[in-house]
Amino acid sequence: MLKIFVLIKQVPYLHNLEIDRRTGTLIREGVENIINPDDLYALELGLSLKEQYDGEITAMTMGPPQADFALRECLAMGVDHAILISDPIFAYSDTLQTTLVLKEAFDNIKDYDIIITGSQTSDSSTGQMPYQLSEALDIPLITDIFTMEIKDHDFYCHRNFGHESQHIQTGLPILVRTQRHFNEPRHISLKGIKRAFEKEIEMYNFDTFNCPDYLDGCNQSPTRLVKTEKIILKRKNEVIDGTTKDKIERLIHIMQEHGIERIWTGMSQDE
Amino acid sequence: MNFELTQRQQLVRRSVRKFAEDVLAPVAPIFDKEAKYSEDIVKELSKINAWGIQLPEKYGGAELDSISYAITIEEISRICASTGLMLTVHNSVGAFPIYKWGTEEQKEKYLYDIATGKKISGFSWTEPNAGSDAQGIECIMIQDGEDFILNGSKIFVTNGAIGSVLLIGTRYKKENGQSGIAILILEKDMDGYEIGQPEEKMGMRGNITTSLYFHNIRVPKENVLGSLGEGFRIAMLTLDVGRIGIAAQALGIAQAAYEHAVEYSKGRIQFKRPISQFQGISFKLAEMATKIDAARLLVYRAAYNKDKKERFSKESAMCKYYAGKIAREVTQEAIQIHGGYGYMKDLPLERFHRDAAVTTIYEGTNEIMKLIIAQQILRGNL
Repeated sequence: MLKIFVLIKQVPYLHNLEIDRRTGTLIREGVENIINPDDLYALELGLSLKEQYDGEITAMTMGPPQADFALRECLAMGVDHAILISDPIFAYSDTLQTTLVLKEAFDNIKDYDIIITGSQTSDSSTGQMPYQLSEALDIPLITDIFTMEIKDHDFYCHRNFGHESQHIQTGLPILVRTQRHFNEPRHISLKGIKRAFEKEIEMYNFDTFNCPDYLDGCNQSPTRLVKTEKIILKRKNEVIDGTTKDKIERLIHIMQEHGIERIWTGMSQDE
Repeated sequence: MNFELTQRQQLVRRSVRKFAEDVLAPVAPIFDKEAKYSEDIVKELSKINAWGIQLPEKYGGAELDSISYAITIEEISRICASTGLMLTVHNSVGAFPIYKWGTEEQKEKYLYDIATGKKISGFSWTEPNAGSDAQGIECIMIQDGEDFILNGSKIFVTNGAIGSVLLIGTRYKKENGQSGIAILILEKDMDGYEIGQPEEKMGMRGNITTSLYFHNIRVPKENVLGSLGEGFRIAMLTLDVGRIGIAAQALGIAQAAYEHAVEYSKGRIQFKRPISQFQGISFKLAEMATKIDAARLLVYRAAYNKDKKERFSKESAMCKYYAGKIAREVTQEAIQIHGGYGYMKDLPLERFHRDAAVTTIYEGTNEIMKLIIAQQILRGNL
């Protein structure tokens, strides 16, 4: 049976995020948390693979205890199992430390065929994790696929690469990073919600898999978020005075400054 | 006392809201304008188990609690009240009585198709001469061997056009010569079952309301719900449940109008500032928010009591009375805040107002709600 793992992250709903001016980090208290939007495409891919190849699908996340709600949502969507990796020691892990914890988790799980991720998280937007994890686990990573097939424990797929369509064949296990809008994530059914809360969420912490000492999110992460600033987009207004001809010339000049090269004004040459 | 929704209930709200915004938002104005519904939507609703929200899993239902049910109807109605109506009538007064009072044979025969949306159900009591006076129904069935022969008509039947399993109230002659009231399970394809023309309505236009005519329908005895003389009691208990759904629907409509009003008032600039900064407008918003919150608490409390198997007749009448009343008020004020734009059909505000109007009328008018509440109070249920 195909063992599918989908990695998800719980993120704050970006609609009304504020930044703490003192610490320079996002204020997460009182903000609604959701499954990272890009991860929904990964979940949909995992669920359709499960249906197609009679597999078993597990959603896994690393985060604070309340991230279990995101996993309930995955269970409601139809995944079979859920794993929450949570330990105060892992707090403040950067992408590398997170990858190393995930590696420990997969070394512990041992039996996996396909690991699926989204393209990036909406609260940090690094997109580094799939690359790092494939390296850590020493398995192939394929990004931006648009068709796939599994035959005799081999994985065949098409992926877009610039203007090329690449046909790829590889053995399992592999890591697949989905692209946005590559499929249409299913709606959650009420029956799914009912069942999601009848299942157990498996808990992993520092002691579960004999973590090496260097897995210390706060003190060992090589990168550190120093400050977060809110970007405020402001429009620059310019009032153009003069005759119609002056205005048109100024307008054309501004457009040329912005790299718009072909401008048709409708005016004849001698006008 | 705990005012927090459980995680499961929170997830119901989030998921149904997402579904409604994705699937129903594009079609809601079309359903209203063209007074139609679509089979595709019926199928989409099946996928999320919206036809069997509380029915047991063994019949294909989602087996959720009553607050989750209220939240589902609220969230669907926030986007498309007509679809909310189709669902609430089907779930609460179509499916529920069969589950509660039906024989095992009746449950086996109907509930699976009902829970999966293969058959849409409904409940019809109102007749030309029997509205608030529910005892005044004139449909009549006469025993003929092992069957009954049914004659009469029903009006204003919600789900009349799409319903294929309809519970209807009818009179029958008791052995002592007096007449009693029974409920029959009718099927659309029974000989003599005629569906009338769609009614032209003010609101809820996406739900095709019709009359039903019964011409000498031969109904087998097995289609009586509960025992013969129990009809009126079952109907009243069923409507207690139905009212929670109608209240939830009114709540959803009010919520939609309120959200539009808040957004609009923050963006609409007059006298060089957003109109939300004027007390005249902000006080309206404050009133709307308070009314909606109070209505929501009443609705969830009635649902909670139902699940706790406590009395909820008064509570469901209260929540329906209040949610319907404030839905009318809130949708009207939302139009006022939008000014001329609110009156235009380009925005959904006037639709909300038209849809809200019936919530103080059907499943018992607000005047009847007050009668029920008063009866309960005077009986000592203070």
